[in-house]
Amino acid sequence: MFKKSVSLLPSAALVAILGSVPSFADIKIGVLVPDSGPAGLFGPSTRNSATLAAQDINAAGGINGEQIELVFADVGVPPAEAAQAALRLWKGQGVQAFVGMHDSAVREALIGRFNGQVPYVYTPVYEGNSCAKGLYITGETPSQQLAPVIPFLAEKEGADKWYLIGHDYNWPRDTNALAKGYISDAGGEVVGEEYLPFTVSEFDSSLQRIKESGANAVLITIVGGASVGFNVSYAGFGLDEQAIRLGTLIEENTLAGIGPDNADRLYSSSGYFATIETEAAATFESSYTDAFGSDAPPLNGLGQSAYEGLMLLSALANKAGSLDVEAMDAVAEGTNWSTPRGDNTLTGRHMAQTIYLADGSGGAFNVVTSFDNVASSEICTE
Amino acid sequence: MSTVLILNLAWQISTLALVALGLAIVFGQLRIMNMAHGEFVMLGAYAPFITSSLGLSPWLQVPVCLITVGSIALLMERSIIRHLYGRMFDSLLATWGIAILMREGVELFFGRGYQSVSPPVSGTVSILGTDYPAYRIVVICIILLGFTALYWWSKTSKIANKIKAMVGNPDLAQAVGINTARLSSGAFVFGCCCAGIAGLLLAPTIRIEPMMGLDYLIRSFFALVVGGLGSLEGLAIGTGVIAGTQTVLGAIASQTYGYLSVLTLSILFLWLKPNGVRSSSR
Amino acid sequence: MASVLLPVSLLLGALLLIPELFGDFVAYQIGLYLIYGIAAQGLGFIWGKTGVLPLGQALFFGVAAYLAASTLKADLPLVLTLAISGLVLCAIGGFAFLLATLIFRGRSESGPYFSLITLALAMIAEQIAGTATSITGGFNGMSGFASLGHLDPFGSYYYVIVGMSVGVSLLLFILNKLPVHLLARAVLDNEPRLQLLGFPTHVIKGAAFAFSALLAALAGGLFASHQGIVTPTSTGFALSAELLILTAVGGRFHVLGPLLGAVIIGWLSAELRDSFPYWELLMAFVFITVVLKAPGGIAEVCEKVLARFMPSASASRQASAIAAPSRTVQAPAKLKFHDVELKIGVVRILNGVSFETPASGVVSIIGPNGAGKTSVLNTITGNLRLTSGRITFGEDVISSRPVYKALNRGIARKLQVPSVFASFSVSENLTIASLAGRVTLADLFRFSTVRWRSSAISKVLNHPKVPLNRLLNEPVAHLSQGHRQFLEYAMTVAAEPALLLLDEPCAGLSPDETALMTELIKQYQETAQRLVIVIEHDMSIVEAISDKVLVLHLGQVLAFDDYSSIRTNPEVQAVYAGGTK
Repeated sequence: MFKKSVSLLPSAALVAILGSVPSFADIKIGVLVPDSGPAGLFGPSTRNSATLAAQDINAAGGINGEQIELVFADVGVPPAEAAQAALRLWKGQGVQAFVGMHDSAVREALIGRFNGQVPYVYTPVYEGNSCAKGLYITGETPSQQLAPVIPFLAEKEGADKWYLIGHDYNWPRDTNALAKGYISDAGGEVVGEEYLPFTVSEFDSSLQRIKESGANAVLITIVGGASVGFNVSYAGFGLDEQAIRLGTLIEENTLAGIGPDNADRLYSSSGYFATIETEAAATFESSYTDAFGSDAPPLNGLGQSAYEGLMLLSALANKAGSLDVEAMDAVAEGTNWSTPRGDNTLTGRHMAQTIYLADGSGGAFNVVTSFDNVASSEICTE
Repeated sequence: MSTVLILNLAWQISTLALVALGLAIVFGQLRIMNMAHGEFVMLGAYAPFITSSLGLSPWLQVPVCLITVGSIALLMERSIIRHLYGRMFDSLLATWGIAILMREGVELFFGRGYQSVSPPVSGTVSILGTDYPAYRIVVICIILLGFTALYWWSKTSKIANKIKAMVGNPDLAQAVGINTARLSSGAFVFGCCCAGIAGLLLAPTIRIEPMMGLDYLIRSFFALVVGGLGSLEGLAIGTGVIAGTQTVLGAIASQTYGYLSVLTLSILFLWLKPNGVRSSSR
Repeated sequence: MASVLLPVSLLLGALLLIPELFGDFVAYQIGLYLIYGIAAQGLGFIWGKTGVLPLGQALFFGVAAYLAASTLKADLPLVLTLAISGLVLCAIGGFAFLLATLIFRGRSESGPYFSLITLALAMIAEQIAGTATSITGGFNGMSGFASLGHLDPFGSYYYVIVGMSVGVSLLLFILNKLPVHLLARAVLDNEPRLQLLGFPTHVIKGAAFAFSALLAALAGGLFASHQGIVTPTSTGFALSAELLILTAVGGRFHVLGPLLGAVIIGWLSAELRDSFPYWELLMAFVFITVVLKAPGGIAEVCEKVLARFMPSASASRQASAIAAPSRTVQAPAKLKFHDVELKIGVVRILNGVSFETPASGVVSIIGPNGAGKTSVLNTITGNLRLTSGRITFGEDVISSRPVYKALNRGIARKLQVPSVFASFSVSENLTIASLAGRVTLADLFRFSTVRWRSSAISKVLNHPKVPLNRLLNEPVAHLSQGHRQFLEYAMTVAAEPALLLLDEPCAGLSPDETALMTELIKQYQETAQRLVIVIEHDMSIVEAISDKVLVLHLGQVLAFDDYSSIRTNPEVQAVYAGGTK
């Protein structure tokens, strides 16, 4: 009972510990998390992951010898309000750099307000094509999640007739535009493509179309709660026997909502799963549990991305010797650092990283394979 | 039309009718624009988790659902709603606040995460040469039976007539000895319980989370105003138009066109037939 | 004018001090709240005054924001940008006017259907904005443009917003002093009465809606320039709901209420969102409390507190002005029913009613309950549409026309249960009636029009026995039934109509008052040889005033003759022998 307060207590305790050394906390970093709105589900795990990152960075000597302190702001609100929240931190509280885990509309609003004057790391999965000055990206882009995975599934599951279904907005459309290329390269074909409004919560007619299309693989770019509803109905109609599913934004919470009965042959492609079996990932998970309790909000790719973002920021700033955008830009290309996800390299201000493919059958992600050092096709040159 | 389309239509229309039924009573009869209607559906969908967290047998889900939803609805009616009869737009504002309270309350107890429920009847059955989820067939049958019973009750029961009398002329109804306060609070609780039962029945087929209520609210409102307030026949026509358009256009064109057409159609109906296709006889 | 200039200059002073006291960034934040406040003021205007509640104001806000963004993207000269902005505002206002006027035409209430139509329109706009990626940038929004005139959004642009905000508030305060304000409020109070006074209420509602849309659009344009990005959230359900909350909590009945609501709620949520995890719960509680305990919102609470410290200036009696001449038709004419039938559902109300009145005189309509007496009046004014047949007055066919057209044709009506504007004072009621049939559009925007008093009203008021003169500043709600009868009578004759329809004018009056009322009626009829039709149950009154008597029975004319012939008519006797009066 009272999960929210339970989850808040340990992080409050940790903040208190960190806060007990304020004389060393010379650099404030703004962490933008969705506490409210549709993505509010990811607020707590994002906060926790960021808190862990700050702990690790400070333990390793901070940024350029100075301790960091995190300041959180809720950006699970419309872009105008989110931009205000970020500006409050920047102009009002003297935050020197930002790490953001939020939607693309908020990102575009922030780019306009930051205007390249403050370093800003954007961490969630996103559609690509964002190269503003001072912006660095750790999130997976469609090319990373799909280029190695589609040929692999063609091989393993014989997936060659793809049905593409997603919400009607930028990310799914951009994802599918790339997917088509990879599918034809792998010798497959696209048998259907469909976009749904955010407001639709019934998927019967789409499921019927998938059935009639004869697809043996479905690429799902439906986001949020609708993804749960879609996948529940999908299995309800017995389509899980006809076609495998591949999602590029199906994480632990979504899978829990879909339920063990409905997740047969539901694949997910991501840079992070809580069940990655590397030493770094295991260490990360155990320190997460130690800090926030076994009852803490489950780890997932979106929440964990805040850890990645802070680590990149720290690596870049330490390499550049400052948090100045120009200085960081000068040394950014080719920066290497390691995280629970694996070994990462910054190329074209995007993060080349290990991509994991997991199977959700039975209600838990089981990592099937991984692809090392997958670079994004998105390259920011300037 | 293919069999699946017909079955999908039956499913969409019957479930929308079930979800909208509670609102038909609360908005259609009591004239309370209940923005927390979707939250009662949500509460009903959480009944299996309330039952299991209390350590009760799954067979008790229905009574647990009715007790939870009913007591919250009663509390809400006694403390807030009873001041708002005859103040339609005020009721909209107050229930909007209540909806937020309910979402946050459920979040406190169960967290923000998604929940899942297994259907009591799993798998698909073959009907007229097509496979259809067995649980859906069961639900469609339950809804059909329920509405038949309700129709019969509304034509014969004294309480139904008293409600009609109260809506038509509250002062007169009071004068002839109808306890309008008790009757309205009873009708309100009944309407909310209908929403709760709808949530419980739909739970295995949908996503379950604190914010889910909004999905059901607006469609229900449009279905009601298109059909006309105050009669079961109107409810049937309204849900037929709304769910039918979405399903058929979703099948032959795309879901986006389906959604836009539902909105456009609603506008046209509201404009040209503001009292509904089947205007109530008053 | 002090009551206008004082609050507006206080507002201007306070807003100008903000950058000096708290710095540019706080000013930037307040700027956003002021922008929402402007849109909320528009919503407060239509909702607080006319009672119409649009649920999709973000439609206008968002469309204007997108258009502003596209215009700014083109980076045209400032003058051209401003000209385009003006055109866009006009177009949006025009669209809103047409929409509301068409929807409200032929209706006399503000039911939920209009609210839901506006909501659906906003939802359509949001969907299209999200889908049409190539035009709007889709979910990620339209960005990459400089603010208006390349002003700094963190600096000088704040003063543009302050200017607009103060200007809008000033305009709203001034509107509150003008007759248009009375008419807008009268719509909420008693729309059927306003229609009988000759006002096309659907046009009034359309104009109020257009004005609110215009303010929403103005806010949307300012928003685009302030934020540098426009996304589909600017045109959808969530922002519409947000504006509604700001308006309700701030107070929809006061000019500054919605502005206060926007700034206070905006500021609180920015402060509390990150430090207080239960702020949404708190907001919900505040919201419910406001609805239940303070429907007038923060503004009303503030006013009450202020009133404690500052005794309100006593209502000064302003000298009344002579109203413009009545433009209603005043030439005497004959009223003729040609085989009129009226069915409502399956019930036959009138079964082929035919009669012709003289052009002047008093005609009484009598008949048992349910004979169709009030329905006859309803068909004359257009409140009920005929099933068949027609009604002519002079040369004109007047049946089945909109109610508001009756007065201009010279037909005024007093209803059975006195129908006045219950939330207004007696003098305001008389003012509205004095506008009836006389006021032009231009008059509605003159301060002096508020003091109009029609000569017909003055004649009634100056009668030594009529009790209204000392009650002018009383709220109508305090009036007795008898006083209301006289008030409504005075309002009905204000336009000096050629045909006066009176439905039981003496009901609830004492014998003295009855005598007074019959005297007034007689006097009115005789001064210009007009036609008066009275429904009356009391035979002594009928005998005293009638030139002719129309007896209705079961929706048909039983007899139409002078009083003495009617008395001896065996058919009439047969009907009345049944025991009814």
